Parts: sequence; structure tokens; C-alpha cells
Amino acid sequence: MEQPNQPDISAAPTQYVPFWRDGRVLGVFGQIIFIIVMIVIANTLGSNFASNKDKLGEIHCADGSVDEGYRCAYDFMQANAGFDISETVLPYKVEDSYWQAFYQGFLNTLKVGLLGVILTTIIGTLAGVARLSSNWLISQIALWYVEIMRNIPLLIILFMLYFGVILAGPDLKETMQPWGLPIFFNNRGLNFPWPQFTSSAGIFIAFLVLGAIQYQVVAIALDRREIRTGKSSNKARWGIFSFIVIAMIGWFAASAMSDTEGLLVTKASRIREVDDIERIILKRADVGLMSLVNDLPKEQLAEAALTVCVLRDSPSEVNFISQLRNRGIPYSITRFDRPDQAVAAYGEGKCEVFAASKSVLAAERVTLENPTSHLLVPISETPVVWSVPAFEGLNIAGGSKLSPEFTALLVGLVLFYGGTLAELVRAGIQSVSKGQSEAAQALGLSESQRLTLVVLPQSLKVIIPPLIGTYLSLIKDTSLGLALGFSDMYRISFVTINQTGQALQVVILMMLVYLAISVVFSVLLNWYNAKYVIMVER
Amino acid sequence: MAVNPTAENIIEIRDVHLWYGEFEALKGVNLTVKQGEVIVLLGPSGSGKSTFIRAINRLEEHGRGDITVKGIPLTHDVRDIAEIRREVGMVFQQFNLFPHLTIMENITLAPINVRKWSREKAEEIGMKWLTRVGIPEQANKYPGQLSGGQQQRVAIARTLTMEPEVLLFDEPTSALDPEMVKEVLEVMSDLANEGYTILAVTHEMGFARGVADRIIFMDYGRILETGPSDEFFENPKHDRLKLFLSQILHH
Repeated sequence: MEQPNQPDISAAPTQYVPFWRDGRVLGVFGQIIFIIVMIVIANTLGSNFASNKDKLGEIHCADGSVDEGYRCAYDFMQANAGFDISETVLPYKVEDSYWQAFYQGFLNTLKVGLLGVILTTIIGTLAGVARLSSNWLISQIALWYVEIMRNIPLLIILFMLYFGVILAGPDLKETMQPWGLPIFFNNRGLNFPWPQFTSSAGIFIAFLVLGAIQYQVVAIALDRREIRTGKSSNKARWGIFSFIVIAMIGWFAASAMSDTEGLLVTKASRIREVDDIERIILKRADVGLMSLVNDLPKEQLAEAALTVCVLRDSPSEVNFISQLRNRGIPYSITRFDRPDQAVAAYGEGKCEVFAASKSVLAAERVTLENPTSHLLVPISETPVVWSVPAFEGLNIAGGSKLSPEFTALLVGLVLFYGGTLAELVRAGIQSVSKGQSEAAQALGLSESQRLTLVVLPQSLKVIIPPLIGTYLSLIKDTSLGLALGFSDMYRISFVTINQTGQALQVVILMMLVYLAISVVFSVLLNWYNAKYVIMVER
Repeated sequence: MAVNPTAENIIEIRDVHLWYGEFEALKGVNLTVKQGEVIVLLGPSGSGKSTFIRAINRLEEHGRGDITVKGIPLTHDVRDIAEIRREVGMVFQQFNLFPHLTIMENITLAPINVRKWSREKAEEIGMKWLTRVGIPEQANKYPGQLSGGQQQRVAIARTLTMEPEVLLFDEPTSALDPEMVKEVLEVMSDLANEGYTILAVTHEMGFARGVADRIIFMDYGRILETGPSDEFFENPKHDRLKLFLSQILHH
């Protein structure tokens, strides 16, 4: 049926639009231009790369043949690096390969980067909240902190900290020990107590992982029961309880199963177990109680002390020394890099006991002149020992140590990026409407509850996107460690390039690794943002 | 509902002045509220009526004078402020629900963290109030998924779950679409009949006439006239009030 009142759309005259004003055409055209530009750039870079690669000369494979393509481009990395790295996460020797050295640099970069991100988050959040404090003094301090950090280049902050604060600190003789705590600060770094793993730590850690799994299992089981019976239960409490039980079993199992550690002593020393050492020292010092021994005058104490040989940084060193310290037994220690050096010193009588793993001791005992006159005494160990630093002669040993370079880099990055983050946090908090705070106050929430339960969760929406960029900048800026001589990935790469001349490969490798770190980081944070921050805002 | 004449005074306000910088928003306000009394505050915008009720739970800080709630003087003592806020609930014009929490989490947040109730107890009582305001089925949604009237009812349930004795309403229907005003006013009327002490800033004359025990007219930061609702509308004395009533009632 005809409906004369309704205009016939199909019959409406099509208005002519010239193609240079047609939005659809312009959209497609813009994309084509973009693709062409990208191809030109990629082509230029690619041909440039290829011609430069030819200029570098022949690439030799590890087996001596000449490489035509890119097959052996990284074979040079298998050679001995030949340089030492002052500070590594894992053990490293001068004879290790360039790959090993690069890996140590990578770990150092990660160490500074991750610690930096964690500490920056804490400092930045506190400073950002303080900026908005109603307390004039606190907000002014935060304001000045932010302004100073934002207006000084990071490199200058690092130099200030390194040369102006840490290297200008007390020297070894004037080592500071705040409040008599076992924390030592001087211009060689900061030593502090730290748990250290012994050789049986693996078993204990396996049990910890098992406990974490058990925690989940308990939570799921209780959830199922709750759905089935409607009876609710405290999941966290039972989960933590089962975790602790398993961790304790792991601790005792690891302690009981570990019979890898031992001491090499002479039969004449009459040491048959660790307890004997205490008696012998008491007798030698001619006092009745161990606590009295340490009150003796210095020369007498040195005479009474047990002389010990160990391998440098070995688990046995950590374990045995912590046992001596716990018993208050005075000792003097000599460290060796190789077992044969240590056993030679022991053979010459330079030390009364040689502490190492049993397999090492058994192998080295047969090299001694008269193996049967030496005994292998087993010593117990716990998976983790609390290692406390102390003066040993002129050095500070034990515990963990932060080098001046690492400390300056970490503190500098944290202070600088803390200032940046503080502004992000402030902006985030101010993006939350005042009504939210008023509602929280009217409900009786305290100031800290208002902040942590209402305001900060909502401000994350504004904070997280720029925060990802800040974190990535921080991680990339660990490369400024080069200026302080910190052995991060960039510095190791720098040395590698100087020694091998293979700049292209090393730079590409470095770029790929930085890229990989950045991608992993931003994927994780974006995932967090999508899952916990954006979804809840509807 | 008539107020028991022997009821105790729950709020006492004497000569309260409040400044925003140089501007004096309240210029000496006196008011005594009895337990169970329902009071509606009227007045043109900028008259200080919102400021006044916000001073009662310290969202605004008064400069001079005394405010006493249930015998607790409102001073800089943060413990007293917290105590008063537990007894005084407030419903806002803009609802101010927490958008990152579900309806049930909105309701149980303060009981769990301030009253230190267990989650079970908070959810039980929260659900009771959510049922009372007529939207128990919305418990697991987010505020953004609800209509304005529903959000305001959630805000009322959130306030009531804290079990306050005094309720402050700051223009609770002003941000609502007309068809949603009624559902909120019904809830408020029920609460008035149940004996809650209520101070409401509102332009809903029907509510003022029907429910209020007393009506207060404010302008220029002062109380200009106060009286029982029927007398107030039939027989206004102050010229400013006559003008105000003629303006709003003739629309």
C-alpha cells in the first residue's frame, strides 16, 4: 500500500561528495600513505644494516670456519671474557664466557630494576599522599622533595649520591655502626645481617613450594565444602596453618637429611664432633665459660681462637662460621679460592680445621701426606642461617653487602622516580571526587581507611597507565649505572664491545633484552590494569 | 508522628558561626532537636542550610559556638568526631556510592571497618536494609548499573546499616529524575514513622507538610522562622518566608 506521507528514501537524490572531502576515502588514503612511509624507512634501515655488516669483515665461527651469513654471529660470545665483575648475583669467574658475563650484567640490571620499582612505589605513594596532607609541614616537605627531584637531572643526583655522600662517608677505620646494631656503614658499602642459604636449602625450598600448593588445595577444598554444606570456614587461617606445618616438616627434614657438610681435622686435635671444639677452646683459654673467653685481652684471645680454612663464599663457610658465632667461639679464618690451596694450607698447619662439603674433603684428604691421621667430622646444618656481619681483622665479613655503586644507583633511581610517582599519585587522588571522601567520612571511616579503602583504589584508574611508563623508564635508566661503574648489563656490554669489537651484535642483543624486559613488564601491568582496575568501574 | 514531649534532647546547637575564609556562612544558629523529631530545613540556595547540617557531623568545621550530639561535644577531638559520626548517618544529593565496590561491599565497608563486625553479620544486616529499601536483588551489581533512585536507596541502606540514631539528608531527591523521587521519599517517610531523628534539607513540600514535626526556614546564614508544619505553611510570619513560599508553591 502506498504511503504518500512517508518520503521514499531510495528515491532521494544522492548528494555528490568530491572524493577529497569523503571521510571514507580519506581514511583509506591515510593508511596507504602510512604503510608506504613505513616500507621506505624499513628498507633504508635494512640496506644500511646489510652494507655495514659487510664492512665489519668476516665472521669466524667457533669451529674456525668462515661464516657466510649470520649463523655464527654470536659465536664470539663463547670465548673467555677475561674480565672480573666486582658484584654479581650468581658466582662468576674471570675464565667464564662473555655469555656468562652478559648474564651476570642482566641479573644485576634486573636486581636494581625490580628493587627500584618496589621501593619507588612505596616512596612515591607516601610522598604523593603527603603532598595532599592537611599538615602544612608534611605537605611542604613533600612539595620540596618532588620539586627538587623533578628539576635535577638523574645523572647529577647519582653523582651527588655516589661521590658526595657514599664515597665521602667514613673510611674503614671509622666504620659507623648505628646504635651498636650489626649494621656497618663505610665508604666501601653497607653490611647488614641477611639469611643465607646452605647446601640443604634446596630441600627446604621444595617444601615451601609444596606448602604454597597445599595452601591453594586447602582453600579450594574448603570452598567446595562451603558450597556443599553451607558451612563457612576461615580459609586463610587453615591455609596458613597447613603451610606452616609443611614448612616446619621441610625445615627438620632438610636439617636431618643434610650430611654433606664436614670438617677435616687431625686426629691429634681430639675434635670428634663440633661440641668438642668448645671444650678445647675453653681449655686453651683456661677459663670456665665461653662468655668469659671473649673478655680476654686481645693477644690471649687471638691465641685461643680456632684457626679455620674455608673456600670463599661456600655454603660450608656460611654454615660453620654461623655455628661458631652462635656458640661464641673465637676464630680466625682464612679463605681460599681453590680446594687444593686450602688443603695445602691445612697440611702445613696454618689452620686446625678445614670446613667444606664432605665430597671435597674426602677427595682432598687423600692428597695429604698421611691421610689416616686426619679425620672427617660431620657437622649439622640448617637450610637457612642468619648471617651476621662482623669485623674479621680489617675486613667485615658475613651478612649481605650493598656496594657503593649499587647503593648510589638504587637510591638515586628511587628518589628521582619517587618524585615522578608522587605527582602521579597526587593527580590520581585529586581525580577522585570530593563526595567520595565525604561519604567515607560520614560513614565514620578513619583518615587512613578513607585513603586505602575508598580513594586510592579509585585513583588507580588514573595512576596506572602513566605508572607503566614510569616503571619502564626506571628499568631502562639502570643503564646509567655505567657512569658509577656498576656492573649492569649496559656496562658489561660496553666492556664486551671494547674487547671484541663486535659492537653490532652486542648492541642488538642488549636492545632485545631491554625490549623483552619492557614487554614483560608492560604486559603484566596492563593485565593487572584490565583485570582489577578498569573492570570494576562500570 | 508526634514527638514525645518528654523525649531527650539528642542534638544541641548553640550560637554556631561558620566561616569559609572571609565569608560567614552561618551567623549564630541555635537549635535543639529532640529524640525522634523530624525536621525539614527550607531556604533559598546559599542560605546555609546544607552547611548547617554538614557541620553536625563535621564535614564542615564550625568556628564558634557549641554543637553537642548525644551529649558528646563536637571539638577537635578526633575520637569524639568518630563517635559522633557513628551515631549520625548522612545521605547526599549525589549519592556518593563507591563506584569500585559492589552494592553489598558499599554497604558492609563501614560496618566491617568501623564497627568491627564480622563479614557475615554485616552482610546479614546489610541485606535486611537492602530488602527494606526494596532492592535486595541488586546486591552484587555495581553502582553504575543502577538507576538514580536505586542508587539513592542503596545510599540510605548503607547509612542505616551503620545503625545511627540521627539521619541527615542533604537534598536527597534533587539529583533524581521526577519519577524516581517518589520511591526515595517513601523510604524517608517510613524511617520518620519508625522514630529516627531526621534533619532533612529538601524542596519536597509534600514531604515537609506530611512528615515533618517542625520546619525551619533559613536565609543569610540564620534561622529566620521555625514552627510546626501546618502552622508554618498556613501562617508564615516573616516577609522573606512569605516571598519564598509564594515562589515555590505557585509553580
